[in-house]
Amino acid sequence: MPELAQAPASPHPRHLAGDDVGIVQARDYYHPGPFTFASGQAIAGFTLRYETYGSLNATRDNAVLICHALSGDHHCAGWHSERDAKPGWWNNLIGPGKAVDTRRFFVICANVLGGCQGSTGPSSTDPATGLPYGIRFPFVTIRDMVHAQKLLLDHLGVAELHAVMGGSMGGMTAMLFATEYPVFTKRQIIMASTANESAQAIAFNEVGRQAIMQDPAWNNGDYPREGGPRVGLAIARMMAHITYLSDAGMDRKFGRRKRESAGGESYTFDAQFEVESYLRHQGESFINRFDANSYLYITRAIDQFDPARAHGSLEQAFAPVQAESLVVGFTSDWLFPPEQNRSIALALLRAGKRASYAELSTDLGHDSFLLESPDLYALLRGFLERSEAYVFDFAI
Amino acid sequence: MSKLVEKRTVDMQVIGEWVEPQSRVLDLGCGRGELMAYLVQAKQVSATGVDLDFARISACVGRGLSAYQGDMTEFMRAFSDRHFDRIICSRTVHELNDPAGVILEALRVGSTVTVGFVNHGFWKNRLDALLRGRKVRNAVYTTAWHESRPANPLSIADFEDFCSARRIRVARRAHLLGDWRTPCRVLPNLLAGYALYDLARA
Repeated sequence: MPELAQAPASPHPRHLAGDDVGIVQARDYYHPGPFTFASGQAIAGFTLRYETYGSLNATRDNAVLICHALSGDHHCAGWHSERDAKPGWWNNLIGPGKAVDTRRFFVICANVLGGCQGSTGPSSTDPATGLPYGIRFPFVTIRDMVHAQKLLLDHLGVAELHAVMGGSMGGMTAMLFATEYPVFTKRQIIMASTANESAQAIAFNEVGRQAIMQDPAWNNGDYPREGGPRVGLAIARMMAHITYLSDAGMDRKFGRRKRESAGGESYTFDAQFEVESYLRHQGESFINRFDANSYLYITRAIDQFDPARAHGSLEQAFAPVQAESLVVGFTSDWLFPPEQNRSIALALLRAGKRASYAELSTDLGHDSFLLESPDLYALLRGFLERSEAYVFDFAI
Repeated sequence: MSKLVEKRTVDMQVIGEWVEPQSRVLDLGCGRGELMAYLVQAKQVSATGVDLDFARISACVGRGLSAYQGDMTEFMRAFSDRHFDRIICSRTVHELNDPAGVILEALRVGSTVTVGFVNHGFWKNRLDALLRGRKVRNAVYTTAWHESRPANPLSIADFEDFCSARRIRVARRAHLLGDWRTPCRVLPNLLAGYALYDLARA
């Protein structure tokens, strides 16, 4: 049984917050056996980097699997050190007493197969050549990611998933967990996601890929670990980041405000508006933590995700599902808009499954699933913690 | 129990008697899921609710109920004919933009449609309007006009006219006196405070 990934409380006040998981450490799971991808290609073994918070109970059925989005990783709660500027990406949601309560649940989050945050992906060393795989890495699908994560869950001794949840690509991952492992998966939460991307979303991913591949430093995917298509990757990230926000949200956050340093010099192409320097910063920080080939592989996996096409219809794809489902859409999400989230819930209901759909009004766009919202917390907590035997209460 | 809560439970009990055990039920305007929770417990139905309000959907989800936030007509359009055994529209019909459209769509998607409404032909409601010259206010409609949602009050006679004009078959009706408990045998449009109908396609 895995030990608690929680170090003694640090003296730093924010790590001492009663509802924070505190200092956490990532661990690596190595799967020694061969792994065959949906494409038919295989690798000799793989590593998944993951974190856990809380502890697995005696019946091994209190696990909640968190699935990250395209550029996310396994570090979804707590802090890696006292000097960390930021906690894990879903720290507002996960912790003792929070909506995903680590006193109650054993929370697991793994970096996906094909990723670049410690899990095996195109930047990993190919044991056959001693060089990075590059684009010789097998094509990855969401289903491959799910299969790899199931091996990790087996290794951790998880008997069944109390819930699997995620936003964006994480919602796709959750969806496939519930269909690939229907008896194992008791609940699924799909947020700001889609059962198949629209042409517009594929188009944005393609522009990002082209920015990378047209950068001469990409060199057909063969580049040194510290180098590579940094310009292309930064532009891909800047463009994609716009699709995660909304017009109203950007207007609220930046408006037409200019940087103080811009002064009166309008006749230059340096960053003048705050939104410009914000996007440049997003691009810059992304190239230091993300691998360009992983970006190609994961966006391709997202584009190809289409269970309806694979099974004839979404209802047929969902036929094996036994989990109770909660789908959450966000009004200002124009990348995976509410309608696409609704259609997931409707297909589940048409297939005779228990499913709910809730929609939050926000102006934060696609990134709204990361929203700090008591309403969202109450919804998720209610879904995760409701008891099976509801006692009827006449109180209104 | 307050008078309102008492009345609500009567409403539930009548609908509960009509609902087939283990049937597939859709509750239009499900609110916080009181009726669905009752039917799940009393009749082991598989229930889904539709409502426009996030807080109400969240309450349903917290009760372990399946609920969908959105427009009820658009929701029903996503389902094939007779997907549901029964569609319930309890104390919602007077707040709809297009009551006929909703009822007709419900008759397509459901084998039976249950409609329950407060009878505004009830003598006390008439007196309210006639003598006091005011918007009806009682144990059910507690709020003043300026605190209320837009409403489209109807009477039993109005509803019967609608059903015959649209050739909707009334499979069952229950008219209850002002206590919402005692069956009303005569002059329902004047004497009944609450009415429930089971509708089916002709």
